[in-house]
Amino acid sequence: MENNKKILVVEDEISLRSALSNKLAHEGFAVLEAKNGKEGLEMALSAHPDLILLDIVMPVMDGMTMLQKLREDAWGAEAKIFMLTNLSDTSKVADAIMQGSYDYLVKTNWTLEDIVVRIGKKLGG
Amino acid sequence: MKSQDSEIFYKSLFDNMTDGLAYCRVVFDVTGYPVDFIYVRVNKKFNELMGVKNAAGKKAAEIIPKIHLFNPDLLEICGRVALTGESEKLETYIEPIAGWFLVSVYSPRANFFVAMFQNISNRKQIEKKLENAKIAARNVLEDLSAEKLKAEIAQAKEEAILLSIGEGLIATDGKGNIVLVNKTAGKLLDIKSKEVMGKSIDQVIPIEDERGMPIPPESRPINMALAGRCDRCHAAPGINYYYTRKDKTKFPVASMVTPVILDGKVIGAIEVFRDVTREREIDKTKTEFVSIASHQLRTPLSSVSWYAEMLLTGDVGKLNKEQKKYLNEVYRGNQRMVKLVNALLDVSRLELGTFAVNPEPINIVDLVRSVVDEQKKQIGQKKITFSLVFEENIPVISADPKLLRMVAQNLLSNAVKYTSEKGKIEFSLFLDDGKKFVLLKVSDTGYGINEHQQDKIFTKFFRADNAREKDTEGTGLGLYIAKSIIDQAGGSVRFESKENIGTTFYAALPLAGMQKKEKNTAAD
Repeated sequence: MENNKKILVVEDEISLRSALSNKLAHEGFAVLEAKNGKEGLEMALSAHPDLILLDIVMPVMDGMTMLQKLREDAWGAEAKIFMLTNLSDTSKVADAIMQGSYDYLVKTNWTLEDIVVRIGKKLGG
Repeated sequence: MKSQDSEIFYKSLFDNMTDGLAYCRVVFDVTGYPVDFIYVRVNKKFNELMGVKNAAGKKAAEIIPKIHLFNPDLLEICGRVALTGESEKLETYIEPIAGWFLVSVYSPRANFFVAMFQNISNRKQIEKKLENAKIAARNVLEDLSAEKLKAEIAQAKEEAILLSIGEGLIATDGKGNIVLVNKTAGKLLDIKSKEVMGKSIDQVIPIEDERGMPIPPESRPINMALAGRCDRCHAAPGINYYYTRKDKTKFPVASMVTPVILDGKVIGAIEVFRDVTREREIDKTKTEFVSIASHQLRTPLSSVSWYAEMLLTGDVGKLNKEQKKYLNEVYRGNQRMVKLVNALLDVSRLELGTFAVNPEPINIVDLVRSVVDEQKKQIGQKKITFSLVFEENIPVISADPKLLRMVAQNLLSNAVKYTSEKGKIEFSLFLDDGKKFVLLKVSDTGYGINEHQQDKIFTKFFRADNAREKDTEGTGLGLYIAKSIIDQAGGSVRFESKENIGTTFYAALPLAGMQKKEKNTAAD
């Protein structure tokens, strides 16, 4: 069980966001939530979470844009980020992610267990 | 004979001849041109013929009125003969006495001639009758021709109907040279019948696949029909052919070819085709709809899955046995839906062509080995005897690993699913005789496929009855997807099966490999 590591979940779908939050909270993480890229960016820059779970397709500001803007920030350039993909995210984006440019978690088909394990590895290392 | 006797003899000859004879003297004008003649002596027959008592001493026109007008040729010949001494003949019609005569003229001494008149009216009559008969015969022939023409017009009308049916029609002779192109075909292809008549269809009407690659002539339905390889020849399902218009634009066609057979030989072929652009569009819209709906389903499916998972792992409280059981059902149901949605998306991608094909050099044996590894657990659980057999020297094949994997996974998982405990499965890899294809053969001693259901095996959502019984959770899309991938790669898949004995699937993939394909943007 992780203690007091802060995780920011940026995801527009409430059901998915809440499921992730609940699981992570259960695992002992402090969870922050944002429902789009704009909120996520603000929260990331102010709270400096240990890890960010970042969805791709979101209104107001999508995940790729938030990622870009985040990387422009000194802290943000080093922030640990997982892109959250459901493999349908407008083809090219999903491809780009899986081409190895970014770390990613697959929302579809992966159990929360899988996700927690990956997060653990990322934070541990 | 004494001279008196001979004179009597000749006189009796003269008088009793059956032909008219006239001994005449020519009358000349001042220039020496024959203008008339005088009958010196005529025989009885002549008088009879001319209907006169005695022509002797009379002028020409007095015996044959208007001779200068009606029979100038007679006059001319008589004059000429009298002058030249050369005999001549003439067939002429003498109006006043209404008869045809063969007139033979010779000259016994200068300026005199003898004309013999042979009545040939009878012959002439017969000739006329013959002529009439000829004309009558010609008329009959003409009538027959008219009938023939009518028949031809009727046939032309039928052809015109044929020519104007809504579908394009092309007919070729036994060698593939075009003999008929109907109006619709001309319109669809933007060609005129006379431009292509007699030319080889392969040359003037090119056929391509959706990537714009020409279809090899032997695979073209019309050539297949001419080679006698099928009764109703068409593209394999899922394969799209395109014809090119004159302006180089392409359109998808659905075509059917039937060979024309006479006395057991193929003497031609008829192709009926239509432009299916609209149909394809509609199909595409439907598939896009399925794709969009499937994408939308993913979020709630993930959500249910995760919450069920959290409940099951006791994150929000311990569950009693019953609760756990029920929740497991929920979870399983959800997993089935997820599988189905994934399969639907694969199907839509295949149909819309949005699957990118990124071939790389693949060692197919290694790929199959890793697929087998994935299924190790299930194979072990069912205590199935499994063997992997492969030929040496199978070359590296250029293929998209994820697609090839799907094919191998599908064939193997079916074999495992539908073989009972302690059964046998053999997965073999080898090259075909022609060394053009690598074959994946998956053989099992499983439940088999009922004969009556075999023809539907590759159709979407089809699950054989016995399969439904043994495994309620299949999607019915696996083989459809596998076949689509194989077909699009230029390969083929078939199977042999006997209920309760077992099934063997054969998938052939061309060694030439898969073609690279960019993902179409579409709704993905």
